[in-house]
Amino acid sequence: MALNAEQEVVRGRSSAGAPPQTSYTRKKRFNSKTALTMLAFMAPAAIFVGIFTYYPMISGSQMAFRNWNLNDLSDTSWVGWGNFRTLFENPEFGTIVRNTIVWVVGSLVPQVVIGFALALFLKRKFKFRGAYQAFIFFPWAVSGFLIGMLFRWMFNAEFGVVNDLLMKVGIIHSPVPWLAEPGFAMTAIIIANIWYGVTFFAIMILAALQSVSDEMYEAAAIDGAGKIRTFFSITLPAISVTLGLTILLRIIWIFNFPDIIWAMTGGGPADQTHIITTYMIKITQKGDYGQASALGLIVVFTLMLFAAFYLMAVRPRKENR
Amino acid sequence: MKKKLTAITALGVAAVLALSGCGGGSKDAADGKVTLKMVESLTNPTRTETLKTLLAGFEKENPNIKVDLISPPTDSADQKIQQMLQSGKGVDVVEARDITIGSFGANNWLYDMSADLKDWNGWADLTDNAVKYSKQGDKTYFIPYGFYGLSLFYRTDLVKDAGFSGPPASWTDLLEQSEKLNQPDANKFGYAFRGGTNANSNAVAIIEAYTADQVDVENAFLLKDGKTIFSAPEAQTAMDDYLELFKKGSPPSSVAWGYPEMVQGFSNGSTSFLLQDPEVIATIKESTSIKEDQWSVAPLLVGPTGKAIQPVGTAGWGIAQASTAKPEAIKLVKYLSQGEPATTFTKENSLVPILKSAAKDPFYSEGPWAAYVKMNEQPETYISAVQPRTVSWWTEWIAKSDGELQRVITGKMTTKDLLASWDKFWTEKMAG
Amino acid sequence: MINKESVLSRTSKIIFLSICLIVTVFPLYWIVITSLKAPGTIYSLPLDYWPKEISFENYIGLFTKSDFGQYMINSLLVATVAATVATLISLLSAYVLARFQFSGRGAVLGAFLLTQMIPGFIALGPLYMMMTNFDLVDSKTGLILIYIAVCIPFCTIMLRGFFENVPDALEEAAMIDGCSRLSALFRVLVPVMMPGIAASFIFNFVNCWNELFLSVTLMNSDENKTIPTALAGFISSFNIDWGSMSAAAVLTVVPTLVIFAFASKFIVQGLTAGAVKG
Repeated sequence: MALNAEQEVVRGRSSAGAPPQTSYTRKKRFNSKTALTMLAFMAPAAIFVGIFTYYPMISGSQMAFRNWNLNDLSDTSWVGWGNFRTLFENPEFGTIVRNTIVWVVGSLVPQVVIGFALALFLKRKFKFRGAYQAFIFFPWAVSGFLIGMLFRWMFNAEFGVVNDLLMKVGIIHSPVPWLAEPGFAMTAIIIANIWYGVTFFAIMILAALQSVSDEMYEAAAIDGAGKIRTFFSITLPAISVTLGLTILLRIIWIFNFPDIIWAMTGGGPADQTHIITTYMIKITQKGDYGQASALGLIVVFTLMLFAAFYLMAVRPRKENR
Repeated sequence: MKKKLTAITALGVAAVLALSGCGGGSKDAADGKVTLKMVESLTNPTRTETLKTLLAGFEKENPNIKVDLISPPTDSADQKIQQMLQSGKGVDVVEARDITIGSFGANNWLYDMSADLKDWNGWADLTDNAVKYSKQGDKTYFIPYGFYGLSLFYRTDLVKDAGFSGPPASWTDLLEQSEKLNQPDANKFGYAFRGGTNANSNAVAIIEAYTADQVDVENAFLLKDGKTIFSAPEAQTAMDDYLELFKKGSPPSSVAWGYPEMVQGFSNGSTSFLLQDPEVIATIKESTSIKEDQWSVAPLLVGPTGKAIQPVGTAGWGIAQASTAKPEAIKLVKYLSQGEPATTFTKENSLVPILKSAAKDPFYSEGPWAAYVKMNEQPETYISAVQPRTVSWWTEWIAKSDGELQRVITGKMTTKDLLASWDKFWTEKMAG
Repeated sequence: MINKESVLSRTSKIIFLSICLIVTVFPLYWIVITSLKAPGTIYSLPLDYWPKEISFENYIGLFTKSDFGQYMINSLLVATVAATVATLISLLSAYVLARFQFSGRGAVLGAFLLTQMIPGFIALGPLYMMMTNFDLVDSKTGLILIYIAVCIPFCTIMLRGFFENVPDALEEAAMIDGCSRLSALFRVLVPVMMPGIAASFIFNFVNCWNELFLSVTLMNSDENKTIPTALAGFISSFNIDWGSMSAAAVLTVVPTLVIFAFASKFIVQGLTAGAVKG
């Protein structure tokens, strides 16, 4: 059910503005030759994803229901929901869930807002726009691990440039132990993630904006609409589907993105910056693959449920138009 | 046109089909040469270089054997080694550590070398400790390549300038001196506190020093009466002093300091004291921030008992159970565990040596190493003891204890609760 | 153009864009500076915002002490091949998903979307076992195959959006002229969709170029390691070599930056084609 809804919105990308010009011609000559072609076209993708993604994933999932600890594999009996129970009973679990929400929301909202503003400003041509774009887009090309290490170095308490600058400007008077105090550490990792993610939104929103036709703006101008009204009555609705899908994909990715945190704090201090996926790495390092798999399944189901609700919530807006 | 279609789709499919055909190829070339795969765990660039030189020597002596050294990034090395051993392919010689041997042994991933080494002439040259640690239970899964042990690195110039006659000898001295040398505004600190990864090790060191009289030397986490060291009233005092040391004498950011941050904190001149393994001697010698005459090494800190417990840490070379080239692998392990190669390895990585002959080597009695000689000469004060690192739940312990210790230093848990929790953990685990 | 930009909005635009640029570029500037400081001097206070003496020691060390050149070649090879093949395969599957209505289409799309939600760690153990059985551990081919599989789902979803914006009439005309479906796809559709395909390719390339986790797990020897593994290798148990790591980071980021400089127009254009037409 969830998947059908998702498919709706993915397809919605093309049908939001104009009538879907392709769908009515789709049901056509569907003979056995076409079917064979289709099969041949789909086969490579299906084989690759089947072998290298689905097989290991399904095979790995069964560990979630077994006592699968690499430290001692002599007894790998089935334990039913035991691993899930251990996870839920863990007093840290609440903190980790809370952190995950803070991490996703805290990273996402500024990414959307700044990304949107950036895209609006970049929409019109100006001198050196090409060069500007190349620089502004570059964080997207840096790996999560590297971003984590880079910010870990910049947030270093004694030799980090962040403390040095803040002290020069006079905002702080003594160095802040950024990665050693839970609240500061959470702030630091979120700043790093915002830095990384703004670009992605800027690109996607810019692309969407450029596809909104000038006629629509001109019509709005004739109606005497001001800038703000134009934004809310023309721009936002026109790109809402792209925006909706981009946000959904982004939420899924941020949720599943341990790289920056792992490189910067490793989930510390005192496990206070763990999100679900970094905690999963921690569990695998302890060797308990059973529990880690259980946590992985929880992630998959949470995201599926979330995606379903999310898509149900965004869909009506599309129909209103 | 049809041909084109087939060609394109084949592009993807062919690659996949190719897989099924190419399994099982023998790595041992037809010319009779045997290739050994060797994995290291505590990787660092200098060490890898040393190892490569040693392996080249081995290959020269044994023209029929080739050794491929695999050097994964140390952060994920043990996990990778686990994967390799579990898959049973692609690894012959492996670096086993006391902390990983428990699980490797329990899973029957390592080969018991006892029979092959029964008549080995190298035994006679090994120190008593090396012989002792070559037996893990009744098996020989690895031969140690060296030993780790704690000693106190300190800044001679700063200690003197502050008016102290010498380095701290006890934990109380350390607190006093660190407090005096700690000047956060000038980015100068006393003690390079370990709050991050493996924070438990130094916390246990102070607890053991405070309970030294009662510690069971065969299992340094237990007292002679069979209770855990964490249950002793002295442990409470130890932890309170330790917390004090963090608050008054250490950099605030050290909550998150692991091994690299501590060593860097000392070698870049921001902290005055560092409790560490000898292997950092080489790193500090390379430092451009502090000069050779600005630092030295003192023995491990004693507790109110006047004694300290020296936890012996070790790692060594072992052989994968699934290796198909065991005789050659044995040759390599033997080669690395005696004579010149063993000495070179311990010297270059500044480890406590495994060979008796090192006692006569001036290298090990001068400069930073003098502290180790001193500790060796006073076994009653610096009691050598075995920590239960080879248990299969050791990694679980590290994860648990590190997290809880950080909670204590960030004020989210009391030292009393911490000790109760650790006591409960070990009491239950030891009871089986 | 609706009206001329007022001075106020123009100023605010310039200020905003400048702040964004500074914040974005500063970390890059900082790694460059760190990489150019002589080893050891990065720990001197006060911090130097421009090295007193520019030293290339970190860079020289990369190529003399490690096989960094080899790692770069490996990364380039693996990322190029994987991104190319993945884009080609996704082109085919995206075409089918965009052009045909068949039962199970939703399921296929759902299955692709689901791969985005799976944390990689679940699959690692079995994947390693499988690669061992195929004898593809420590092999560039093995890594390429996995990367292709990792890239396909998102790439298909992306390309499918582009196809839906190209009218059917185009390839139908071609097919009436006697082209097969495949040649119609490559002769008629691909040229029209070039910006979108370029964007997808770059996306795949960047992902493969940066991938750390699978590479560390599967690659052993220096002949096969990729750059991210080398980066992780600068963290040893008692040292983080910030100087070398920064130098390596600069060398890693530069190629992608160059691609972006040339292709940023493409990327936006390509994505625009895939987005809503108003």
